[in-house]
Amino acid sequence: MSNKKLLIINGPGLSNLSNYSELGYDGLSLDILKQKCIAACESLGFQVDFRQSDDESDLLKDIKVDIDNFNAFIINPAGHLHSSSISHDIFNSIISKISSKNKPVIEVRIENIFKQEGIKPMQVSDSGAGFIGGLGIQSYILAIKSINQKISNK
Amino acid sequence: MNIYVINGPNINLLGTREPEIYGKDTLNSITKTCNDKASKAGHSLHFMQSNYEGEIVEWIQDAIIQKVDVIIINAAAYTHTSIAIHDALKSYSGYKVELHISNPHLRESFRHVSFISSTVDAVVAGLGADGYGHVVDLLSELPIKVN
Repeated sequence: MSNKKLLIINGPGLSNLSNYSELGYDGLSLDILKQKCIAACESLGFQVDFRQSDDESDLLKDIKVDIDNFNAFIINPAGHLHSSSISHDIFNSIISKISSKNKPVIEVRIENIFKQEGIKPMQVSDSGAGFIGGLGIQSYILAIKSINQKISNK
Repeated sequence: MNIYVINGPNINLLGTREPEIYGKDTLNSITKTCNDKASKAGHSLHFMQSNYEGEIVEWIQDAIIQKVDVIIINAAAYTHTSIAIHDALKSYSGYKVELHISNPHLRESFRHVSFISSTVDAVVAGLGADGYGHVVDLLSELPIKVN
């Protein structure tokens, strides 16, 4: 069985990336992001499932099965540009579960979240989780390349 | 593109210092990787490391004077303490990436504060020593204004 099955999860707010143009990331759309991720994955031999929903419960309803079915994960919890009520605890516990199974997981952000006060990245207890923020679409591409190298070195 | 890769305290011990956290790569091997990738892409890259805060501040000031296009900085422990490095980076208007080998947010609580993150364009952490090469590779894809 291929060990190159990657799940990319995009949280609430990422359906409309025009929000990010205020931050200097012009010309972004979810479709462009998806196409670039799929192209990067195909060139590295990954099967990829790219998901986005503004409804967290819908996005994560099968997450237990997903954690078993995929070998690596990229998660953009987003949310804060969309709604202040989003619960980071849910994503936090998912990232923690994935890294406890010793599978690569990277939290990505389009923007540098540290430029906004009060926004913090996931703080999980297990090591093995990476963080990339501020590179625009390239945050995802860097995550894909890094995961590829990690899996290939195993 | 002109690039400074600036490294802070104890990075010179890589390969021997807590390899379970930082890996087995040495500073020499990381330097070589960065230099090779930069020269392939036609960049000029200077890789530096110091255990002294003031020397790091002076390198950032030098980057301002020399109009260096990109600073990749792993300030190591000074990340969590140095307002001087924060101020120097704020004065530098080129493209800035904060890099960490491990993910400081997964470690002791005293590493959860970074005085650097709010001054940079991007933060990359927890990708291991390979993070350096990945970031150098990526620079050509980023909207960086080259002097």
